[in-house]
Formats: sequence, structure tokens, C-alpha cells
Amino acid sequence: MLDNDPEKKKLMRDVVIDQIYNAATTDRNIVFISADFGAQSLDKFRNELPDQFIHAGISEQNMVDLSSGLAISGKQVFLYAMAPFITARCYEQIKCSLSAMNLPVTLIGVGVGLGYDHSTLTHFTPEDIACMRALNGIEILSPSDQKSAEVIAANAVTNPAFRYLRLERNAHDQIYNDEFINCLDTGFYEISRGDRVAIVSYGALLHKVIEARDDLKKAGLEVGVIDLYRVKRINVHKLFEHLSSYKSLLTVEEHILDGGFGGAILEALADNGLQMKVRRLGLSDGFTVVNGDRDQLHKFYGVDTGDIISAVMELEKN
Amino acid sequence: MQINDLENKALWLRQELWKMVMRKGKGHIPSAFSCVEILIALYYGGFAKVFPGEPKHPDRDRIIVSKGHAAIAQYPILADYGFFDKSELTKYTEPGGLLGMYADFRIPGIEGISGSLGHGVGMGAGYALAAKSDQSFHKSFVIVGDGECYEGSIWESAMFAAHHNLKNLIVIVDCNELCILGKTDELLSLGDLKSKWMSFGWEVASVNGHSFEELLRAFSKVGSKSKKPLVIIANTIKGSGISFMEGKAEWHNKIPSPVELSQGNAELGIVEFE
Repeated sequence: MLDNDPEKKKLMRDVVIDQIYNAATTDRNIVFISADFGAQSLDKFRNELPDQFIHAGISEQNMVDLSSGLAISGKQVFLYAMAPFITARCYEQIKCSLSAMNLPVTLIGVGVGLGYDHSTLTHFTPEDIACMRALNGIEILSPSDQKSAEVIAANAVTNPAFRYLRLERNAHDQIYNDEFINCLDTGFYEISRGDRVAIVSYGALLHKVIEARDDLKKAGLEVGVIDLYRVKRINVHKLFEHLSSYKSLLTVEEHILDGGFGGAILEALADNGLQMKVRRLGLSDGFTVVNGDRDQLHKFYGVDTGDIISAVMELEKN
Repeated sequence: MQINDLENKALWLRQELWKMVMRKGKGHIPSAFSCVEILIALYYGGFAKVFPGEPKHPDRDRIIVSKGHAAIAQYPILADYGFFDKSELTKYTEPGGLLGMYADFRIPGIEGISGSLGHGVGMGAGYALAAKSDQSFHKSFVIVGDGECYEGSIWESAMFAAHHNLKNLIVIVDCNELCILGKTDELLSLGDLKSKWMSFGWEVASVNGHSFEELLRAFSKVGSKSKKPLVIIANTIKGSGISFMEGKAEWHNKIPSPVELSQGNAELGIVEFE
């Protein structure tokens, strides 16, 4: 049984920063830079390793340019901010000062997708996968619980590379135990195997996908669920090996459909000459902004558990 | 080098750049000519540490030409220091050649990437901060354009460098008062750059950017007792050295006609080149 005691649920950001902190205590070349964004674990980092913490000010452009000079000088740099501000806000700097030189800097964005529900559009990232995945050489990782966040962070610390780590704002139920470590190479985890329909998702919506799977099971339908947490650098060969037994595929994302997660999978299918019926759930172009909590927003944008179930039923008919 | 030698070196750099650009019809002569003396003073005036044949020497000073249109002005100098073969200069912009219209990290002696404005000061601050934390004594020199100071990122970096007392960071503003469409003062005034940098917490020196005497005097302030980073506002003439280009915005990326080419050759004392 997984332990889902809310008291024990740590925020992803705390889990990730603790991993960086542990490494930084023995490696003084690790530098953590925040654009005025905090975390409980960061307070410890700042207090105990003040020489390895930099407050960049609310200046994301300088934060990224600065990190390039530090990285070329041999520092292992982690940049930390709310997700919209460490992606689109300083995209030019990421492109020219990091991507162009393929520097081993990790961008950590917190509150991806609709995580800052009541804060609405300026705090949403309905476009971050699309824009970040267009960057040359980047790896994009989107954990769905604290265990996957911990394993991904530990790996990022040990193997420096140009990465974007997408963290959820809130604590979510635990999905994984130690077994998650076994999927670091493949970049995805097969949570369950089904008959005709497979659902591929990531992050917060993976939890709704699992809920939908459980409901469908009660109705006698076994659906496959894959957590494609490595959104960029998809291991196409292995992924399609897992998908080959299914008749159709449903992708679920908290992102605009144009250039997003489902789009990436469609591209991979087309490039490999594979044919499969695919349906994508996500935000459609022209979406409007409304008030509501994250669950209400999921309903409004058509990506909630009920929408996932309906989409599977549709696919089952074929 | 004595001032006389530096002046000869400046003429040599203009000749090399002129030939390099005219051979291929690609590049921005006026932007590059505006900072020729600045670069020569830095590389040959005894202030920046350069190690011939060793572009990655750990103690080298980092020299970043952030105003990327002028980064080509480093190429002949870097070849002169033996960082790559001189034959690369004739292969400028050619497929298979090392040197492009904008400087690139792949080129030995180039410390960053340029072509998009407003990145160099932040990157230089990164180099300077790393040096400070590693107790390394090398410095970072960043050449920016005055037009580049329109970019907000410059000011984010300026604030950061002052807060961290990065006295090992030196910014030189190549202040030629022109951007692509005309005079900065008429299009969108940059105001008083000197007071702006000063109010951001920098030591400020203001010089004639074509006078070696003044540039060397300003560079001698580097490493003074002040904890602050230093900015040198170098007043320059865009296109300096080619009479018909001097101070004329329209020459930003224009390539001379055959008649103008001959005139340029004559003004630079170039007899003939292939």
C-alpha cells in the first residue's frame, strides 16, 4: 500500500531542493539561483550554504545570462522560479545563452499548467511544453508525485545537462515507490496494461487518468496507462513497443493542443510510419480564462476524469 | 606597446576587417570600426591578460563583444594571437570555415555567443562571480553598444553586478550614438548614460573611444581600490576610418559599390587584395 497520509506529503519543490542541497553540501560548485521564489527547503539551503545561493532579484533575463557565465566557469547551476517566468519570460536568454552552447544548467519551474488556478493566465503555462520543446538540446521532465520528483532530481544532480524540470505546485497522492528508478532510461513508466485503449499522460493529470482507469475497470474495461514523464527526448522505439498491442491511444495534457504533449506523440508516430487511432485531450486554441479551482478548470477545459472516461468510451466503439 | 604601435595595430585591424568583409560582401564594417581602438587597447595595451596560443588558459581575462555586429573585429586579433590559423580569415562565412558573421562559442578565444543584444553583461557577471567565488584573479571585459543599452536585460545585470561588488567586471559602452534607423537621441533618447550607470552603483569613466591615451588612462583604473564594477563610456564614431561611412546610420549593413570600395582601399592604404 502506498502511504498517502497528507501530513507526509511533501511538496515537489522541497523534495527536489533537498536533493540539490544534499549534493551541494559536498560539492561547492553547485549554485542555486532563485528569482525571488521560495520553498521551505530553500530556507535551509540559504541558511546553511549562503555562498552557493544567489538571489537574482525578479530579473529572470539576467538570471539566465548569468548562469551561462557561471556554467562555462565550471559551476553546476540550478535556476528556480515560478514556471511561467522561467520559460516564456526569458525564452530569448535560454535560447541564446544556454541552448546555443548546450550548457548544463537546470531550469526548475514550479506550478506548471493550471497549477496556479485562481491566479489565472499570467501564472498558467498552457504553452511551456510547446515553447521549451522547440529548444535545441533540452530535456524536459515532468514528475507526477514526490517519489518521481526525487528520483528525477537526484539524476539531474548526478548527470548535469541542459534540462527543464516541470514541478507541480501542490502535493499530490503518491503513485510510485522505489520502482520509479527503473524507468530513468526509458523516460516513461507503464502504470497498467490494458486491452484496446492506452492513455498517455504526465504530471497532475496523470492522477485523473488513474481515477478514470479505475472507474472504467468497474465497468469492465481495462485501459493501459503510461506516464510519459520525459516529455522531450521521448524514447520512441520503446514507447511504441509498449503501445503496439493497443488499437487506439488517448493523450491527456494540461496544455494547449498546438505543439504540446499529444502533438509530440503524433509527430513521433508519423515519423516512424505507425498508424493508430489517436485522440488528444487538452486546451483548445481560443480557450477563455475563467475563475475556478484546478478541478473546476479541468471540467471547464474538458480534461477532467469524466472527459477522459468519455473519450475512452468513444475510442472503444471503434 | 607604445601609443604609436597601437595606432599602427589599429590601422592593421581596419585593413584586415575591410578585406575580410569586402571579399565576401558580408558583415558590419561601421559597428566594427567604431570599437577598433577599444579592442586594440584591450588586447595589446597591456591591460587584458591574453596567453598566445592558449585560448583556454584559466588565468586569461574574458573578453566579450556583446554588440555582436562588431564581434568580427576580434577575428584578426585572435588569429594574430595564434588561437586559430590565419587562413580562416579568408574563409570567413564560407561553409566549412570557422568564422561567421557573428561570434560563436566554437571559435577559440570567443567567450560567448553574440548576435542578439543584451546578453554579454549578464554572462560577464557570471564569469566575474565565478572568479570571485573561486578566488581567481581574472577579469571580464564586456563591450556593449549604446544602442544595446535599450535592452532591459542590461540594467538587470548592471544592478546585479553592483550589488555583488563585481570589481572584476568592466563594461565598455561603445557610444557611437547610432542605431539602424538613425540617431539614438532623435529616435528614443538613452538619456544621460553616465548618470544612469552611476546611479546603478558603477564607477564611471568617460573617454574619447578613439584616443589610445584616454582609453589607456581609463583602463588603468581597473583594479583600483573601489569595490564597484567599472563602466567606461567610450565616445566613438560609427564607421571611424572610412570618411563616407562615419556617423552615417545608413551604412550599418550596406556594402560599398566598386567606386566606394576603391575609395575605402585608398583611405586605409590598401593597394590591392584578393
